[in-house]
Amino acid sequence: MEAIISLLTNPYYIQVVTMMGIFLIAALGLHLITGVTGQFSFGHAAFLSIGAYCSALMSIHLHTPFILNMLAGGLMAALWGVILGFPSLRLTGDYLGITTLGFGEIVRVVFINMKITGGAGGLAGIPRETNILLVYIVVALSIWGIYRIQNSRFGRALVAIREDEIAAESMGINPLLYKIKGFALGTFFAGVSGALFAHLMQYLNPADFGFARSFEILNYVVLGGLGSIPGAILGTAVLSLAPEFLRFVKEYRMMIYGALMVLMMIFRPYGLLGGVDFVQLYKRLKSRRKAGPTLPGNMP
Amino acid sequence: MMMRCEILTLALGRSRLILIFYRYSCSKCFYDSCRPGGALKAIGGRCMFWQQFWQQLVNGVTLGSTYALIALGYTMVYGIIQLINFAHGEVYMIGAFTGLIMVTVYKVNFIIAILAAMLVCVPLAILMERIAYRPLRKSTRLAPLISALGVSIFLQTLVTLIKGGPNPLAFPQVIQDTVYVLGPVRFSTVQVLILVMASLLMVFLQFTVKYTKIGKAMRATSEDYEAASLMGINVNRVVSFTFAVGAALAGAGGVLVGMYFNSIHPFMGVSVGLKAFCAAVLGGIGSIPGAMLGGIFLGIAEVMGVAAGFDTYKEAIAFGLLIIVLLFKPTGLLGLPIQRKV
Amino acid sequence: MKKSRYLLLLVAMLALALLVAGCGGAKETPKAAGGDTIKIGFLGGLTGGHAHYGIETLKGMQMAVDDINSAGGVNGKKLEIVEGDHGSNSSEAANVTQKLITQKVSAIVGDPTTGITKSAAQICQPAKMVLLSAGAVGPGVVEIGDYIYRDTLLDAVAAPAVTKYLAEELKWEKVALVTTTGLSYSEGLTGIFKPALAKYGMEIVAEQSIMEKDTNFSAQVTSLRQKQFDGVIFTGYYTEGALFMKEMRKQGLNQVMAGGDGLLGKELYELGENAVQGSMVYAGFAVDSQTAAGKTKEFIEKYKAGNNNALPDMFPAQGYDAVMLLADAMKVANSNDPTVYKDKLAQTKDWKGVTGTITFDEKREPIKSPVYLQEVKGQEFVVKSVISIDK
Repeated sequence: MEAIISLLTNPYYIQVVTMMGIFLIAALGLHLITGVTGQFSFGHAAFLSIGAYCSALMSIHLHTPFILNMLAGGLMAALWGVILGFPSLRLTGDYLGITTLGFGEIVRVVFINMKITGGAGGLAGIPRETNILLVYIVVALSIWGIYRIQNSRFGRALVAIREDEIAAESMGINPLLYKIKGFALGTFFAGVSGALFAHLMQYLNPADFGFARSFEILNYVVLGGLGSIPGAILGTAVLSLAPEFLRFVKEYRMMIYGALMVLMMIFRPYGLLGGVDFVQLYKRLKSRRKAGPTLPGNMP
Repeated sequence: MMMRCEILTLALGRSRLILIFYRYSCSKCFYDSCRPGGALKAIGGRCMFWQQFWQQLVNGVTLGSTYALIALGYTMVYGIIQLINFAHGEVYMIGAFTGLIMVTVYKVNFIIAILAAMLVCVPLAILMERIAYRPLRKSTRLAPLISALGVSIFLQTLVTLIKGGPNPLAFPQVIQDTVYVLGPVRFSTVQVLILVMASLLMVFLQFTVKYTKIGKAMRATSEDYEAASLMGINVNRVVSFTFAVGAALAGAGGVLVGMYFNSIHPFMGVSVGLKAFCAAVLGGIGSIPGAMLGGIFLGIAEVMGVAAGFDTYKEAIAFGLLIIVLLFKPTGLLGLPIQRKV
Repeated sequence: MKKSRYLLLLVAMLALALLVAGCGGAKETPKAAGGDTIKIGFLGGLTGGHAHYGIETLKGMQMAVDDINSAGGVNGKKLEIVEGDHGSNSSEAANVTQKLITQKVSAIVGDPTTGITKSAAQICQPAKMVLLSAGAVGPGVVEIGDYIYRDTLLDAVAAPAVTKYLAEELKWEKVALVTTTGLSYSEGLTGIFKPALAKYGMEIVAEQSIMEKDTNFSAQVTSLRQKQFDGVIFTGYYTEGALFMKEMRKQGLNQVMAGGDGLLGKELYELGENAVQGSMVYAGFAVDSQTAAGKTKEFIEKYKAGNNNALPDMFPAQGYDAVMLLADAMKVANSNDPTVYKDKLAQTKDWKGVTGTITFDEKREPIKSPVYLQEVKGQEFVVKSVISIDK
C-alpha cells in the first residue's frame, strides 16, 4: 500500500504520465484526421506549436485565465488548420502528406524568426498552470468528444470519405468541406495539447516542434492501431513511455527504438489494436458468436 | 525619376532578385544609382550585380544537382512501389561517411572513394528493402512509412555510435581547389566535378532506364505492378534493382556534398533528404526528368532566396515553393494528372 | 480470429511487463542509494544531436568524482554520479530532470545547452534543487531563481576585455564585423561587441551577415574588399569562420579574424588551413601545455591519459569544475542539502578551478578570470595572451 502511495506521489511519474496525457490529446486529434478521415498529416507538431505559442503569449502579455488561453490556443490552431486545409485538402495521399510536412517546417522557421516568440533562443517565463488533474480532465473530455464525433452523422461521413471518396461524394457528402471540418477539429485538439505543453514546460523552443515530433505523434496513432480510439491511447502510452523504459540500454536506446518500429510494423502492420473493435468484441463475447474481425478495407 | 529610384532601391535593400525585374523596367535610373554616392554602392553596383547573379546561378545549379542525385532515389522507388523511402537520406549520409573513411584512412583518390561509397550503399539499400519494406508491400500505406522512419532512426544512431558522437567531422580537401574564371563567373574544381559527375550519372541512368532490359522492366513495373508480374517480370528483382540504383546515386551524392561543404555529420541526411524529397515531388514524383528538374529548380531557388536577403528563411524556401507549385499543379511540374477511377 | 486475439493478449502482456519492469527498476534505485553517498545528477544528451557536449561534460564530471573520492570524499561521504540522458530532446529533459530529483540527488550538473538548462531550471527552482549548468552562456538563465547557477565564461565579461586588448595591444582601429544571422549565439555576441568596440574607440567600417551552414561567402568578401580595416570580428561558428577566411585569402585580403569560443574547435584549422593562421579565439579554457600550470596541467594530463592522448575541450573542464565547485560549497556548508549549501555556493569568491578563477557576482552570474586569447599556429591553438578580468 505504501509503495502504491509513493508511486502515486512520485513527481517523476506524475511528470511522465502528465506528458503522456498531453501527447494523447494531440494523438487523438491526429486520430480524427488520419485514422477516421484517412488524410495524411505529417505536420501535426506545427499545430501543437501554434497552440503552445498562442496560449503562452496570452498568458505572458495579457494575463488572461489559463482555460481561456488554452481554448484560444486550440482555436488558433484550428484556424490555421482551416487556412492550410482549404487549399491543400484538395490534394490526395502523399501529396497532402508532404504539403503538411512543408507547412510544419515553415511554421518552425517562422517562429525562429519572430521577435515576440523569442526566436531561436526560446520563450521562457510561462506560468505553470498545467497539472495532472487538468490534463486528464481534458483527456477524458477529448476521448468523449472524439467518440461522439466518430459516432455521429458527421463522423460516419468522415469514415465514408476514408473508405471511398467518390462513393461518399455520390451519396451527397461534400468531401472537401467535411475534410476541412475534420482537419480543423483535429488541429483544435493539437492546439489544446500544445497549450498544456507550454504551461507544463514553462519554456518553449521552436526546435521542439520539428517534423520529428510530427512523426512521433503519427507513430502513436499508427502503431496503436489506425482508426481506433483505444489504439491511439495504447500507442501513445507504449511509445511515450518506451524511451523512459529503454533508458537502461543507454546509448543503444534510439537504435532499439528504431528497430522496434520496424518490427512492430512487420508483425502488426495494422497496429497493436488495428482492426479490433471493442464494442463489437464486447457484443461478440456476450453472444458468443464466432466471426472474424473485419479489417477496414481501404485504410491508408 | 532619380528620387523615386533612390527610394525604391533603398527600400529593396539587398533584394537582388527583385532588382532583376527592376532593371528591365527602369534601366537608366538603375545605372544612376550605381554611380558613386548611389544607393546601391553598398552592394557594389550594376556590374557587381550581374556578376553576382551568374555566380549565384552556378552555385544554385551545383547545389541543385546534388539534390537531384538524391531526389532520383526517392522518385524511382516511389514510381515503382509508391513508398516514400524516408531512410534514403541516411543512405546518402552513409555514402558520405564511407567516402570520408576511404580518403582519410585508405588515402585513396576521390574517384575510388565515390565508387566505394556506391558499393557500400547498394547492399545497404537492398538489405533495407528486404527487411523493412518487402514484408509490408501489401499492407496499408502508412505501415512502410513508419517502418522507413524506424530504419532512419536506427541508421542515424548506429553511425553516431560508431563515430562516437554527433559533432561534424571535417572532410579533407581531396583535390587541388583551383578557381576557373569564365566571364563573370568563378568555378571551383569541386563545383565543376559535381556538375560533371551529376550529369554523367544522370545520363547513364536515363540510358539504363530507356535502353536496357532491366530498365524496360522498371518502366513496366512502375506502369502496372500486377500486370508486369503477370508478364513474367521478376518484380522483386526490379524493386531491388531500383533501390540499388537509387542508393548508388545517393552514395555518390554523399561524397560529392562532403567534398563541397567540407563537413559531414550523422544527421546530415535528414534535412537534405527532406529537401531532395521535396525536389522529387516538385518535379512530379515518379518522373526521372522531373526529379532532375525539381532538384536544380530547388537549388537555384534556395541560393537566390538567400542572395535576395531571405537568408534566415532558407530552410523554409524549399517547402514554401513546393506548396505553391502543388496548389497549381497538384502532381508537380512534370507529373501526370491523377486519374480518379470510379 | 483466435490467433489474432492471442497475439493481442501477448502484446498487452508485453506492454504490462514493460510497465512493471520500468516501475520496478526505478523504485529500486533510491533504496540502493542509502545515506552514505552524495549523488550528483548529470543532465545532458548522451545521445541525439547534442551528444558530444553531454559525453564530454560527463567525462569531466567523472574525473572530478574520482579525484574527490580518492581524497576521502565530501563530509565523509563518497560522491556518485547519476546519469540522466535526455537524447537532446527538451520535453524528455523535463522528465529526466524530474527523475533525478526523485532519485534524491544533491545537485544537478547540466545541461550544456542554454535552452534545455532553462526548461530544467523551471523544474529545479520550485523543487529547491541546485542546478549548475556547465555550458549555458545565453541570457536569462540564472534569473530563473536562486538555485540556478552556471560556471561558464560569459561573453559579456570576456568580449569587452578582448576588445580592449585588440585596441590597446594590437592597435586595431578599424574592424569589419561579421554576424551569422539567425544564430542566437552570434547575434548575441555581436550585440556585446558593438558597444565594446565603441567604448575602446574602434570603428566598424563594414558589417556583413552570413548564414549558418552557408559555404559561399564571395559576395560578402567582395564588398569587404573596398574597405580599409585592421581585422575582422567574427561572431559565428568555426565552420563558417574557416570558410570565410579562405574566401578572404582567395580574394587577396590578408587581415586576421578574432572571435569567441564558437570558433574554438580543431575544425577551424583543419578546414581553414593557411587562411586562419594568426586568427584569434578567446575562451575560458586553454589546452596549451606550455602555459598551463597547476591544476589545469594536471587535468589535461589526466584527461589525455584516459582518452588516447586526445586533448580536452572546454566541456570536460567545465564539467570537472562544476563538480569541484559543488563539492567545495558542500564542504564549507558541511551539508549536502541544497537549501543549505546553495548560500555558500552563491558566496563563492576567487575559487580556483581548472578553467580559471570563478567568482559569483551579486546576481549569481560567474565572473571568470582569466580569459585565454589563443591564436592559430600551424595545427593548434597557442595562447597569445592571458587577459585577467578585474571585478
